[in-house]
Amino acid sequence: MRSTLQQRLLPLLVPGLILATWFAVTSGDDFTAQVLVPPAAVLDSFNELLASGELADHLRASLSRLLLGFGIGSGLGLGFGILLARSALVNAFAGPFFQAVRQVPSIAFLPMLILLLGVDEGFKLAIVAKAAFFPVALATHDAVKGISKGWLEVAAIYRLSPLRVLFRLILPATVPPVLTGLRLGLTRAWIVLVAAELMAAENGIGQMMEMGRQMFRIDTVMVGVALTGLIGFALDQGVRLAERRLVRWKAV
Amino acid sequence: MNAIIDPRSVQADSAPAVGGLAIRHVHKGFDIDGRKLSVLEDVSLTIAPGQFVSIVGASGCGKSTLLRLIAGLERQDSGDILLNEVPVAGPGLDRGLIFQDHRLFPWLTVEQNVLLALSNSDEAATDKRARVASLLTLVGLDGFAQAFPHQLSGGMAQRAAIARALAPQPQVLLLDEPLGALDALTRLRLQSELQRIWLAQRSTMIMVTHDVDEALFLGDVIVVMQPGRIARILHVPSTHPRDRADPALAPLKAEILSLLHAG
Amino acid sequence: MSLIAEFPPTSFVYADRIEDHDPPPAWLVALVKRARGLVLPLLLAAAWHWASSIDASMAYAFVPLDQVWERLLQLLSTGELAINAGSSLGRALTGLALGGLSGILLGSLMAGFPLVERLFGPLLQAFRQVPPLGWLPLVGLWLGSGEEAKQLLVAVAAFHPLLLNSYEGFAQAEKKHLEVGRVLMLSRWRSFRFILLPTALPSILTGVGQALAFAWISTIGVELLFGTGAGLGSLMHTAQMAGDMGVVLLCVISIGLMGYGLNLILSLVRARLLRWRVTG
Repeated sequence: MRSTLQQRLLPLLVPGLILATWFAVTSGDDFTAQVLVPPAAVLDSFNELLASGELADHLRASLSRLLLGFGIGSGLGLGFGILLARSALVNAFAGPFFQAVRQVPSIAFLPMLILLLGVDEGFKLAIVAKAAFFPVALATHDAVKGISKGWLEVAAIYRLSPLRVLFRLILPATVPPVLTGLRLGLTRAWIVLVAAELMAAENGIGQMMEMGRQMFRIDTVMVGVALTGLIGFALDQGVRLAERRLVRWKAV
Repeated sequence: MNAIIDPRSVQADSAPAVGGLAIRHVHKGFDIDGRKLSVLEDVSLTIAPGQFVSIVGASGCGKSTLLRLIAGLERQDSGDILLNEVPVAGPGLDRGLIFQDHRLFPWLTVEQNVLLALSNSDEAATDKRARVASLLTLVGLDGFAQAFPHQLSGGMAQRAAIARALAPQPQVLLLDEPLGALDALTRLRLQSELQRIWLAQRSTMIMVTHDVDEALFLGDVIVVMQPGRIARILHVPSTHPRDRADPALAPLKAEILSLLHAG
Repeated sequence: MSLIAEFPPTSFVYADRIEDHDPPPAWLVALVKRARGLVLPLLLAAAWHWASSIDASMAYAFVPLDQVWERLLQLLSTGELAINAGSSLGRALTGLALGGLSGILLGSLMAGFPLVERLFGPLLQAFRQVPPLGWLPLVGLWLGSGEEAKQLLVAVAAFHPLLLNSYEGFAQAEKKHLEVGRVLMLSRWRSFRFILLPTALPSILTGVGQALAFAWISTIGVELLFGTGAGLGSLMHTAQMAGDMGVVLLCVISIGLMGYGLNLILSLVRARLLRWRVTG
């Protein structure tokens, strides 16, 4: 009994120590509030942001950008991925350019998009869509390419109807890798959106943190960092949950 | 050292005085889902130095466990295993082990795999390499020293594994179904090879096998196991090198098969 | 052989042959096929150039291509491109080394000692959820926007992939290989060097690949967002502020080419280190 309790408590030891140190060093006057504030102050700041509705506004701004941009990017990515896999012509003409642009990290496109589209919503949606487009297109391409000829031959031998081929073969074979691509795209879209908001935005989690930094409000920044991580985690887990539900036949 | 390469230097009467094994009243069981499953019950066996012993039995009769106990990879629950009158405690270079799957390290070349077995030796690097080269000659792998395991056929990989096991010059060589994973023709060829190597080397060899013909072709002594115990110990009258068609083997084969079916 | 004889080539193969009375040389066919990939970028470049000629405001965003070319020559002759690219490269590689090595160290410790895993695993898992650039405002407050801050953020980006991959690599060492090590009486160091390390190596190299990509992205990101010091990101930041699309464009291309080059070098190293693996 004792040993299992120890096992349970062990992972809490290091975080506990960090928290205790944090408490200890901020209880004296060694640090100014511009460098480190007590944990309670961060919690207060969180409550304040929550009560004033400020936090909700930032969240709404960030998440609506994310969803809209991701929707556009992943939709285009899905379509383009299928085309790239199915059409030799598209592959010959657009494949090399696609591969070349893919080498450039999304974040490097930020200044270019700002110059082209200005600092309003346009460039944020564009960068989020771009970040989502490439992983989804690539995963879709690989998924469609990965449909084994052997399975299609089996389908032909049993004279399955096209509808049946779609639902019994093509979708089950392609959905798992495409979902993985969507998850990757969503995570990347979130990362690049935070960066874009840090650069230029009127609201959003990134902008909240950037303002906090400029005003030396470390409590606001800490709330922002924690929220950024939480949202990223929740998005990732959400898609993983969908993956598990939809892909129950797969081992692992 | 020359004994490994030159079969003529070892005569039948100069069999080594070391490498004798005594297994006394050994018990071994495993815990499976909290239940104790007995694998070996009161097994006793004496093996003379330089003997070739074949252990035959059906799957799950405990023959591989017995080999792993001798190798020191497992520990018996009770009883003694003595090598040269000294109790076995853990693995040691005086016992070599050849597994059914060759277990070569895929990231090392054949030569590096065999060299690794010599890492406890103080010899100069050039001497080690020369030893490895002569071992590879012995097992018929000349010219494959720099090959990676995935470039070898199953039979060649097992030859390399034999070279590795022989490298530290063990007094006892333990073979756990060494040819079990090979195709029939390769198997026959490697049986003859094993016979040749044993004649050249004359260390004690203990081989676990499913194959009664293989056991009879190679063994001086055949240990027939039924689940958990030794059913009978048979001495093969015929000498080495042996003829597969030796009429003396036929009645022994019949007896072993009937024992295995009875078990 | 007999199988092939039973199935004669299908008719369209013949049809193909009949049409090709005088087939063009193979290299020409290959060249033309390859060249199709250039059509789209060239069309885009032409559209870009055309857009720049509409009026002055469009020329501000879509810089005429001859100006971009001039910018390139200028950046090359002043050495600006080389200096900033070198600075970014150094930052990314230093971050990869610092963050990556600590990741491998901690990952192998976590795989080897369950206690370390239980102590640090959950905490690191939580920290991993924050994207590397998400730490930027906090690190900026603590360390300013100088080299330490940038280096720390790049190192953090490289740390997590290698922590994860080396942990998985070392944890998957096979029992059957370790057993051989026991039979051969290998010392602890030799078991590590000849069994554990080679087993973990493919996974670690995968981690190096991911860490390299993350380090490169983060290097550009921190330079861009801090906008201080040398580096392609800073150069791009300055150019954006000045509305100099030509330089921005050249930076984007350089960043892509350098990322591609780094990846290429790594895949060569990988192939060399893992040549013992079955290929294909």
